[in-house]
Amino acid sequence: MALNKSEKEAAGQLMDALYLDMFHLIEEHTQSRVNLERANASGAILLARTRFQHGGSNSVSTAQIPTENSAEFNALCRVVDSGDGRGISIERQPVDKSNGYVEPLHWFSVLPPMSLRNAVSKFKDCVELVAESTNLQRQLCDVLDWITKLRQTPLIK
Amino acid sequence: MALHSAIKGKLISVIGDEDTCVGFLLGGVGEINKNRHPNFMVVDKNTAVSELEDCFKRFLKRDDIDIILINQNCAELIRHVIDAHTSPVPAVLEIPSKDHPYDASKDSILRRARGMFNPEDMVR
Repeated sequence: MALNKSEKEAAGQLMDALYLDMFHLIEEHTQSRVNLERANASGAILLARTRFQHGGSNSVSTAQIPTENSAEFNALCRVVDSGDGRGISIERQPVDKSNGYVEPLHWFSVLPPMSLRNAVSKFKDCVELVAESTNLQRQLCDVLDWITKLRQTPLIK
Repeated sequence: MALHSAIKGKLISVIGDEDTCVGFLLGGVGEINKNRHPNFMVVDKNTAVSELEDCFKRFLKRDDIDIILINQNCAELIRHVIDAHTSPVPAVLEIPSKDHPYDASKDSILRRARGMFNPEDMVR
């Protein structure tokens, strides 16, 4: 079947639009990773300050976090799909020990220092940035899939 | 104790160095389920690549995980497994760590995107 000129033109325009979308998404994706890197680095500096102030590298380390032998507990934040096409978002649960929602700060100290509390705030920002980054990555994947599909059609030759 | 019944939403899992895991756990993403399976793994210099790969594959199979965060330097060690994962769920996010800044040229999704306008670098 001979493809008419207007169909080929429309496919070409669609391809252009997809490529433009792809470049915008690459830019946003990279920027979101840079933001995540900044928030993560700020949090890591505050963890290092806590270690310095409280003596020894073991004051905030993997030695305090739960292992397979620890009691079960639930995550305080979960990923929920908004369902309206806006992608995912983070939903936080309040601390409620009786229902398994424990305060992670208390693994490290009963009276956490201000630097550790500030670190928590930075890492909470990181979790929000992760959701934003995931939405962008999924959009970028969709665009790449469409470009691949369109390239395989006889319209783009 | 049925702590996990009727919980809305999915988990974020973490594979990374000590600071990444401690940080995200402080952020509230950590969970240990009723089978005593954590959704995080701390990678240090003694962690074997096979252990890392098994953990990543285990997280891929879990239906309660929506996002897998992995430090980019750890992702480099199991690049073939990450490249083979094409499904949007769970999303695999390569994140920078304290010692290894983010390198866009190593990111799986960006390498695929680059292949779209530079066929010589096309990865699939």
